[in-house]
Amino acid sequence: MAKLPTPQQLIADRPAFPDKHWLNVKSEFTPGSFCYPAKKDTMELLHMPNPHEWDPAAEDWGLPENWERILCDAFADRLEKHRSLKLFMDICVRCGACADKCHFFLGTNDPKNMPVLRAELLRSLYRRDHTMLGKLLGKTVGARAWDKSVVKELFYYAYQCTECRRCSLFCPYGIDTAEITMIVRELLHEVGLGTHWIMDPVKNCSFTGNHLGIKPHSFVEIVEMLADDCEIVTGIRPKTPFNQKNAEILFITPSGDVFADPGIYTFMGYLLLFHELDLNYTLSTYASEGGNFGSFTSFNMAKKLNAKMYAEAERLNVKWILGGECGHMWRVLNQYMDTYNGPTPVNMVKPVSPITGTEFTNAVSTKMVHVAEFTADLIYNNKLNLDPCRNDHIITTFHDSCNPSRGMGLLDEPRYVLKAVCNNFVEMPENTIREQTFCCGAGSGLNTEEIMELRMRAGMPRGNALRYVQQNHDVNHMACICAIDRATLPPLANYWAPGVTVSGLHELVANALVMKGEGKRTLDLRQEDLPNVEPDEAADTGEEQ
Amino acid sequence: MDAKTLIDTNKDEILRQWIEAVYSLYPLETTGFVRTSSDPFGNPVGDMTKQAAAAIYNAITGEDTAVDTVKAALDRFVKLRAAQRANPSQGLGVFYLMKPILRKLLLPQLAKDDLETYLGVESRLDSLTLLAFDMYASARETLADLRITEIRNQHAQLTRWAQKHGVISTSQAR
Ligand code: SF4
Ligand code: SF4
Repeated sequence: MAKLPTPQQLIADRPAFPDKHWLNVKSEFTPGSFCYPAKKDTMELLHMPNPHEWDPAAEDWGLPENWERILCDAFADRLEKHRSLKLFMDICVRCGACADKCHFFLGTNDPKNMPVLRAELLRSLYRRDHTMLGKLLGKTVGARAWDKSVVKELFYYAYQCTECRRCSLFCPYGIDTAEITMIVRELLHEVGLGTHWIMDPVKNCSFTGNHLGIKPHSFVEIVEMLADDCEIVTGIRPKTPFNQKNAEILFITPSGDVFADPGIYTFMGYLLLFHELDLNYTLSTYASEGGNFGSFTSFNMAKKLNAKMYAEAERLNVKWILGGECGHMWRVLNQYMDTYNGPTPVNMVKPVSPITGTEFTNAVSTKMVHVAEFTADLIYNNKLNLDPCRNDHIITTFHDSCNPSRGMGLLDEPRYVLKAVCNNFVEMPENTIREQTFCCGAGSGLNTEEIMELRMRAGMPRGNALRYVQQNHDVNHMACICAIDRATLPPLANYWAPGVTVSGLHELVANALVMKGEGKRTLDLRQEDLPNVEPDEAADTGEEQ
Repeated sequence: MDAKTLIDTNKDEILRQWIEAVYSLYPLETTGFVRTSSDPFGNPVGDMTKQAAAAIYNAITGEDTAVDTVKAALDRFVKLRAAQRANPSQGLGVFYLMKPILRKLLLPQLAKDDLETYLGVESRLDSLTLLAFDMYASARETLADLRITEIRNQHAQLTRWAQKHGVISTSQAR
């Protein structure tokens, strides 16, 4: 008679001693562990190589016949092009300092999610073709040959890395596994492998400007609806200037904040702030997407999408660009924009705040200023009338989004602004913030719902730190300066620290902003009651101050 | 020795063995790390497991049996199991890893007439596992809800615009 398995047998995930070397354990494509593949027609429209229909869960991925040649050549080409890649392949001493620094490893406990082993997946292929020892000794020195299961493995782990760079912070050599992941994704695209959640927005951004592919006139209407909502809350309808030639400033921000909750409240915050400052600025329907989905795909795609910013700055003849709260947009701007598409059009000049006269010398080359720097400068120069008590029901912490913090060192400006508009601010534990911040777990094109479980694992270290300040310091809010975070942190908080709400920085700024001629504020931007308004005061709604 | 003293004197060993049993479910290359790092934020899985071990011990020995505090102490660990293992038996089976440990450490030394105290311990472990089952199920439900809410939130403003223009009806938007 067959025996019932014991509980121990039921839950054992592995035999006591694994029978295979870690490199030989095959990836299992179970539902929830992978992102849906990009559609063939999307890839065709974008002229991506080898477009085809395929299913990650299927045995056969329909790779082109000469897939191995394509990948070997593409890899050799990238090694030639990026000296950093060659260096990263050569110099890792396997010290292990990075091993436990990745949120994917901490959340999944899958050894191949240790950054050192993630890189080793590619490095083992590098050894065979590009090192003398590997050519001669093969397996004994950790070299291996390409085969189809290796391609699958690369796909599996390249989309379990959010390119957050936390690991590189701890590497004595500064090896940046994020860049290795970027190259792996680029290689996979050569044989037609990409994900829907990334390629669909890439297509939309290419053809219509924003990631949902909304046509310009509708985009304008949607923004105008947000201005209407601003009026309900403040009694003032902010202007929504679009495509205005000769404006001083072009404002570019991720279009996610025009379409998605709760990002729209951050967008409303911008509208109100700029209106109050009477800023000579314009939005654009052509460059209506700050976020660069191309950067999750390939360097060339990132360059192509990024080019719109300067093209539009030239067409509209603006002096400089102000950039909204976004993550990877700033990674691209800060790290790559100059080389991709610089120098700037001749009409652009060194950014100077028209309100304070401050020269943004840090942006002298790209001529693009981060809105957190811009607002911090306003507050520093006492140009805003703020009433932080309106945010007194909030005890907030701040999530350093990976790209602005590790990618560009924007650590203190957002905190400075946040503390000026909120009286109650609590930091999360030291090894989870600033440069050491933990990723939301779903950046770099992974915030798609089919991998929600995986995201909750990867986001666990962040959720765990958030939960700690919730339980120990009554934190009920988390501010951030990234549109992807505004999409990924709410589910993360709902799972790991339910009760904590998430918003962008400028939503809180606008809530605290006392505007000239505004009505009595009884609602916040979400049109929820402001609890600190006295009931009898609330009766005066609409009365001008 | 009476059961109570016996359990108390074996506390550290019971906790150690259960934590080890849980760690050894992870891939071999990972076990060393979860075992050695004690930073609650650098090694959250280790921290959650240790917290759960203490909570289980307190509950089964009868020291802390208030449902709310037991649940609060197990919350992180059960959520972790629910996110890491989609298979409920794998997620929750860890609680039963306690039984062989208790039996091995306690039963041989137990006086016959004290068996009842020991059985009480095991039966509290059963109750605890059932409580955890509820928590596990609700965590899985939350995961499913998160997917739906996210899809809705992604296009929230677009939906409002479409409603305004009569492209979709209010009920479709929900
Ligand atoms: S870049 Fe981030 S996600 Fe990728 S391996 Fe490093 S720590 Fe992990
Ligand atoms: S810290 Fe740097 S050198 Fe050390 S194992 Fe990681 S990548 Fe290699």
